Amino acid sequence: MDDMNFPKIEDFISAQIMDKEKALKRVQQKKELLNRVLTIFKKNLSEKKETIKTDLAKKNWANLKLMAHGIKGSAWTIGAQQLGDVACAMEKAADNKNYPLYNHLFQILQDCIERFLESEELNSLL
Amino acid sequence: MKKNKLRFLIVEDDEMIRIIHKDFLEELFPKCEIFEAENAAQGICQYFECSPNVILLDMMMPLMGGETFLDILEEGYSKKVLKYKPKIIVVTAIKDVKELMNIGKRFAVEAVISKPLVQSQLKALLEDWIE
Repeated sequence: MDDMNFPKIEDFISAQIMDKEKALKRVQQKKELLNRVLTIFKKNLSEKKETIKTDLAKKNWANLKLMAHGIKGSAWTIGAQQLGDVACAMEKAADNKNYPLYNHLFQILQDCIERFLESEELNSLL
Repeated sequence: MKKNKLRFLIVEDDEMIRIIHKDFLEELFPKCEIFEAENAAQGICQYFECSPNVILLDMMMPLMGGETFLDILEEGYSKKVLKYKPKIIVVTAIKDVKELMNIGKRFAVEAVISKPLVQSQLKALLEDWIE
């Protein structure tokens, strides 16, 4: 796959940044619990982002896959569909040890993280 | 399995998901005991220390993953070193069908549920096993 065929941020935009209803359903409508969970998610995201930067430099594929897999699972759990979808694509890129694609998707992931952190849906829950 | 003597072990590296599982189980079975492990190595220790009836097992974890956890238990069962066989539910974000089928076929595994966990699925499974 050359750079021209790489996915773009637009490819992930149709997915919701944050599905508030789904998030509340996962915690049985307990807003306090969701607040706690989202705080942990935000902290983990920023830690994982830094770990990915380090592991990308080392091309540590096992860990790059683990990081993407972890973000995917937790993002989908709290209804952050867009983030989960990008992380899912990163996990596949790690499986194929495709450095340019993983790196490219990581840039998209960082944009998605910013959108997520600024989203009204998230901030109304925190 | 008696409702008032339930012991759950959650083997999951993601703190956030452990909290969600724990809250759900406590609500479903208020008298249950819940133990937690962040990876398979801790999970094996907890298996011996707490003798859980039900284990919720994640597959992809740092240091030691769910596959090694299952390898160790199955080796123990086959050599008759381990007799105590809890019900293991794999809760995983793995999407590859072949991989999921292989996990489901394992001797130690009772059920496989996809992440994000649909709590009604877990509830239905548990209610089948618990008196």
